[in-house]
Amino acid sequence: MADSLVMVEAGFPLLSLMIATLPLGAALIWLVPDAGKARWIALFTAFLDLGFALAVVAGFDPAHAGFQFVERAQWIPTLHVQYLMGVDGISVLFLPLTVLLFIGVILASWNRVRTLTRLYYTLLLLMESVTLGIFCSLDTILFFLFWELTLIPLYFLISLWGIGPNRRYAAVKYMLFMLVGGVPLLFGFLLLAFNHAEVAGLGIPAGLMFDYLNLLATPVSAELQVTVFFLLLLGFAVKTPVFPFHTWLPVVAMEGPVAVTALMTGLKLGAYGLIRFVVPLAPDAAQEFHWLLAGLGVVGILYGALAATAQTNLRRMLAFSSISHVGLVVLGIASFNLQGIQGALFQLLNFPVVAGGIFLLAGYLHHRTGSSDVISLGGVARTMPLLAAFFFLFGLAAMGVPGTNGFPAEFLILMSALKTHTGAGLAALFGVVLGASYFLVIYRRAFLGPVRSAVVMDAVDLRQRELVVITALAGLILFAGLYPNGVLDLTRLTSENWVAGLNPPRP
Amino acid sequence: MPERLVWLIPALPMLAAAWIGVGYVTGHNRGEAGERHTARVSQGAAALSLFLVLSLDALALFKGAPGQIRLGEWLTSGDYRVALSFTLDGLGLAMSTLVAFVAFLTLRFSVNYMHREPGYQRFFLLLSLFTGAMLLLVTAGNAVLTFAGWELAGVSSYLLIAYAFERPTAARNATRAFVTNRIGDAGFILGIFLAFHWFQSVEWPTLLEGTEGLSSLSAGMVTGGFLLAALAKSAQVPFAPWISRALEGPTPSSAIFYGSLMVHAGLYLVLRLQPLFEQAPALMALLAALGLLTALYGFIGGLVQSDAKTALMFSTTAQTGLIFLECGLGWFELAAWHLAAHALWRAYQFLSAPALMHLVSRPARPVPPWLQRRRALYTAGLRRFWLDHLADWLLVRPTQALAREVQSFDEQVVNRLVGLPTQIDAVSSLAEWEARQRGVVRTPEGSVGRGQGVLGGLMEWLGSILHWFEEHLVLHGGGGGLLKTMHRIGGYLLIIEQLLSQPRYLWLLILVTFVVII
Repeated sequence: MADSLVMVEAGFPLLSLMIATLPLGAALIWLVPDAGKARWIALFTAFLDLGFALAVVAGFDPAHAGFQFVERAQWIPTLHVQYLMGVDGISVLFLPLTVLLFIGVILASWNRVRTLTRLYYTLLLLMESVTLGIFCSLDTILFFLFWELTLIPLYFLISLWGIGPNRRYAAVKYMLFMLVGGVPLLFGFLLLAFNHAEVAGLGIPAGLMFDYLNLLATPVSAELQVTVFFLLLLGFAVKTPVFPFHTWLPVVAMEGPVAVTALMTGLKLGAYGLIRFVVPLAPDAAQEFHWLLAGLGVVGILYGALAATAQTNLRRMLAFSSISHVGLVVLGIASFNLQGIQGALFQLLNFPVVAGGIFLLAGYLHHRTGSSDVISLGGVARTMPLLAAFFFLFGLAAMGVPGTNGFPAEFLILMSALKTHTGAGLAALFGVVLGASYFLVIYRRAFLGPVRSAVVMDAVDLRQRELVVITALAGLILFAGLYPNGVLDLTRLTSENWVAGLNPPRP
Repeated sequence: MPERLVWLIPALPMLAAAWIGVGYVTGHNRGEAGERHTARVSQGAAALSLFLVLSLDALALFKGAPGQIRLGEWLTSGDYRVALSFTLDGLGLAMSTLVAFVAFLTLRFSVNYMHREPGYQRFFLLLSLFTGAMLLLVTAGNAVLTFAGWELAGVSSYLLIAYAFERPTAARNATRAFVTNRIGDAGFILGIFLAFHWFQSVEWPTLLEGTEGLSSLSAGMVTGGFLLAALAKSAQVPFAPWISRALEGPTPSSAIFYGSLMVHAGLYLVLRLQPLFEQAPALMALLAALGLLTALYGFIGGLVQSDAKTALMFSTTAQTGLIFLECGLGWFELAAWHLAAHALWRAYQFLSAPALMHLVSRPARPVPPWLQRRRALYTAGLRRFWLDHLADWLLVRPTQALAREVQSFDEQVVNRLVGLPTQIDAVSSLAEWEARQRGVVRTPEGSVGRGQGVLGGLMEWLGSILHWFEEHLVLHGGGGGLLKTMHRIGGYLLIIEQLLSQPRYLWLLILVTFVVII
């Protein structure tokens, strides 16, 4: 455990720069008089940020298990709230993938967003900024701040630019769900801070502590761990989403703006929170309730897969399929071994690429045909061969076919789940079979068969701008699929540390 | 070290497939003009692979088979290590020679056969991908890499069955075939897991040499997983029907997939695992029994077919059944020879099937009289022993029904339980703002205060209690001056209650909670 406390301080505040560039870009959008330039400024800012994110990955030392690029500053000194940033093997790869997904979203909105364009791109950039903040922050209050701040841009993005008639309902529903999740989260973090004060023998507020690393090292009594575990689990489960808190996702996927729904499914912040906070901060309780985690995972896998089988709308089906896939992540976490956590991380890293990419494709299709319901589609492969081919490739990745990045992730999760929760692992295997069937059945109805409608007949295939994004994502799918150790090597040491932290050597 | 180039054998056709794919995306090789280039690339890759395989064969003849070749790590997590390794023993070399040879010939055949067909490039891409996958399957040195080839062969098979994707039957049959195979894949993954569990390795040699101390139950469990996969891939009873649905693709692909190569992939797996099977007598018996059943199924089904390709398919099924039977009886050597001979002969038969009209002068044989007399058996043959219906009845329909139930459960129960008011527009100030923009005056609606879901119901209940409290105790309670004060307080309470009876209550609740906590 002591190893993880060793941190590499950053000589240059690269993480802060990465996060701060985006609001600056957003401000620039309002300073430039021409509103038509907004998308260019947004794109340029996002690309600049991609450079920063890639610089972080390039400068990241996989041979070091602790946090790197650490920046520390006092923020609210009386409460010991700090501005503490840093990345480790768990979070580092999320940075470039998040930025890449946002670039895809900006390009997908290029000609589609015509009203209030300035506000739209401003909100997107702010959303990107706070999302990166979530992955970087190491102070629980700072994390919570970023966590709650994601709601504001998303609320307006869904309610103002949504495509469904119930977009406002979807926005409010999303907002309320997230707020309900946010309260226990904050409560859990506060409990830990109070516990630290108690352990340290200092009063409140002198002994309060929100520093993630310090909290990791602070002993927590068994009863308190259980409370904290359930509070944090509830907080993150809503966002993940874990059954039965998933009902917002299909609604938002249907009503939200098509490009933004790619964000909602591509960024699995809740599952990241499970890995980062829930298990390490309440390790004994998490292991005591491993059956709960595994159960939630399996129920999610099967429930999502079965519900996806019954859908006739591509976006709704994809929403349920992402519920099913995130169930695999939870199952991987529940096994508490190296394969499980590495598989879960791998699967989480796949989300921005695979789920995000396939939602972008569904969005492209929706732009062209005005619908993503199979009833009004059919024969898409005839008129849009590239779109159909890429959709299939992304679908293969979601199914976990070898050669795509889905395989190493699913394989490791299944191996670890079969080892620790054999029944759950078998059920997950069944879910894998279902995964092929629901995807292929809906693919057949939407993309194959004869062309039935005039809109499909007249639609054009992927344009250059769309092709660039999709090819980049497809390249990542194949790269991680053919060379899985490239990803696994980066996450190895931190994951080993994560597993070791679960069973601290007792003196 | 020429044998270290072995990775090129499966990689070359796959690279050719990637090249064709990239060319198509960039618009490089589309249309008839691109046909020559496409065919050259895929043929060249297949020829090079064949050449490499033959050189390895020659090397093996003079210096002995190279055996296990390990090129590096591929997928590592803790003690779960999957190496990039190849097994070049007698079986691997023989199978890869067979695959490379048949694949090359089929590609050559397709150049003319597919000329000016729509999707020419797609066909060659898929055939190259399949060739690479099959070569990976037979040369791979561990179970996971074999599985990779196994799956990729399945994917390219799906895409080739759905080659004429505008025909609904083709698309439907492709889906069916792939999902059936997927059941087998689950077995394969289970086998891999058990191999990791008992042998701490998935390398074929380790797996086969470590069988000594293994109990027959453990051996049976490992083998059982792989056997499930083999049965599905080689279309044995009870998975047999998918293969007769698979003939929707163009003739050369039917030849290479179902006539000669992919249908034997399951058999290759059985041959590869020979020592494990020999440790598990019960599974050997099962193998023999299922093989025999499949042979009978193929024989009787084949007799009643009226279509040349389907009849050939049933005959293929019968032969693979026989080979399984041979394996089950322990004649692995014979099975290997039978496999090779059958693959070559069947490839030739399938490729010449479209020209059968010109080659055969006498009319087709009628159904033999002994079968005609047995009506029940005849019908069973025609209906393919109802295996498809059985699968529908046992698996497909229950899954579909369950899916529908989950869907309605999601909408009716889960959504309501954690649900929200549906009249959310009424509280959204954004909606009001938009409405004002449009010049529509909104009036507050009566149904606003209806709570939904557990939380909503709870709040509504709380609201009505407060209401009751106010009505009965506050208003009708005291008199005189108190009443006046009460009236005033009641006024405030009314406002609070009005606020509470709106769906904003959740917001309020949350805010209050925040205040309480902080």
